[in-house]
Amino acid sequence: MSKYAIEVENLNIYYGNNHVIKGINLKIPQKTVFAIMGPSGCGKSTMLRSFNRLLDLNKNARVTGSVRLFGRDIYAGDIDSVEVRREVGMVFQYPNPFPHLSIYDNIALGLKMNKLVKSAEELEGRIEWALKKAGLWEEVKHRLNDYPSGLSGGQRQRLVIARVIAMKPKVIMMDEPTANIDPVGSKKVEDLIFELKKDYTIVLVTHNPAQAARVSDYVAFIYLGELVETGETGKIFTAPGSKLTEKYLTGKLV
Amino acid sequence: MKERFEKDLNKLKSEVERMAELALSMLVDSVESLKTLDVKMAENVISRKDSLADMDESIEEEALRMVAIYQPMAKDLRTIAAVLKMITYLYRIGRYGKDIAGMVKSLEGKGHIAKLVEIPYMANSVADMVRDAITAFKTENISLLNDFEERDDKLDSIRYSIFRECITYMMEDPRNITQCSYYIMIAKYLERCGDNACKMAEKIHFMVTGERIEIK
Ligand SMILES: Nc1ncnc2c1ncn2[C@@H]1O[C@H](COP(=O)(O)OP(=O)(O)OP(=O)(O)O)[C@@H](O)[C@H]1O
Ligand SMILES: [Mg+2]
Repeated sequence: MSKYAIEVENLNIYYGNNHVIKGINLKIPQKTVFAIMGPSGCGKSTMLRSFNRLLDLNKNARVTGSVRLFGRDIYAGDIDSVEVRREVGMVFQYPNPFPHLSIYDNIALGLKMNKLVKSAEELEGRIEWALKKAGLWEEVKHRLNDYPSGLSGGQRQRLVIARVIAMKPKVIMMDEPTANIDPVGSKKVEDLIFELKKDYTIVLVTHNPAQAARVSDYVAFIYLGELVETGETGKIFTAPGSKLTEKYLTGKLV
Repeated sequence: MKERFEKDLNKLKSEVERMAELALSMLVDSVESLKTLDVKMAENVISRKDSLADMDESIEEEALRMVAIYQPMAKDLRTIAAVLKMITYLYRIGRYGKDIAGMVKSLEGKGHIAKLVEIPYMANSVADMVRDAITAFKTENISLLNDFEERDDKLDSIRYSIFRECITYMMEDPRNITQCSYYIMIAKYLERCGDNACKMAEKIHFMVTGERIEIK
């Protein structure tokens, strides 16, 4: 088995004629936090979406090259994209639990739909387990039947993370998970990310280099659809190899 | 935010330059006062030690404040790290000046046993190294640091020749021992100042390029 959760080889992504991701090669080691940073519009979200075939949903998008998930090419003909998405969970920028479902049902839904649990007890157990993993259990255990609208932004985002964890993915991708929550909520999500890497591989897209510096083990810098540089976080934030990264990190890239 | 940071950083860097001037003045003037055994000048050098310590402290404080406020990265971070190290090296250089000035009083009554040539030469060489380091720090022209290893070797060999010469004087006449032991000590201080200039050069090189070098 590959020691990498994700290996990207010569990845190109187009929206119509717009070449958005240009020949990227990347290796994401298992059970680490891997941050992808770069200015707005450079293609971070697009690339992330290609890691669990979310771009399939966009008729206009075309992907070439390969993305291997634990050694298996997810764009090979015999691969079930739904299965891929279960292994690679996704947390989006807006904390988006289903508003008309209770906290409990928000997590239960995916488990039931995918027939991942066999009994009511197992369901209950899995939900508690996922909420605990997401560090939310203590805050919601007495109000599992409430709607998520009563939760803070940070709590909602952790609920979404619990929903992803409940599916027992191997990789959790997060696209700007703290962009819309306050500093206290952000800090909790960051702490959670740090905790989760014991069991999962985390791919984190962020606008915020300071956040990448705080939580990631490795970081990739993308600029105009190209990979400028990737490496250990500590090294890149003190002495990056590329002038472009240097400029980006010192706020001189406009 | 970026402009504010740049402004504060430029100010911080010019404070380092000011501290370098002070430290250098202490070193250069101490050797000058040694040449002529000018006690008044030596005392004046010693009196600058408090300003030196104050600058060391205030620059450190400001650098830490900037780290806390701006969370600098990459070159910005390396620059502040360089500043934090450089002020320690500059502080030491100034302190060696103060220590040399301290010896002038003890030597005053005795006079020199020979015309001092090599010690002032060493002091000038060290001062030039520090000036070049500071220019490189300011302009990022690191080619100024290229020959630091040679210059440091040169200092080392002068120190050794002073040492040998002093041994001869001391064997010739034990009354020379007091002066000679001062000369030997001063030569050693100046050589250490050279080492500190080299450490500064290493930090400046890392600041500019992100690559570490070692000047032996
Ligand atoms: N669904 C789409 N259809 C067509 N073009 C798109 C689509 N999504 C994104 N793009 C274009 O692809 C490029 C990359 O966008 P992407 O959203 O991946 O960037 P990003 O790095 O995530 O930016 P941000 O930091 O603002 O989220 C942009 O030029 C964008 O306009
Ligand atoms: Mg995006």
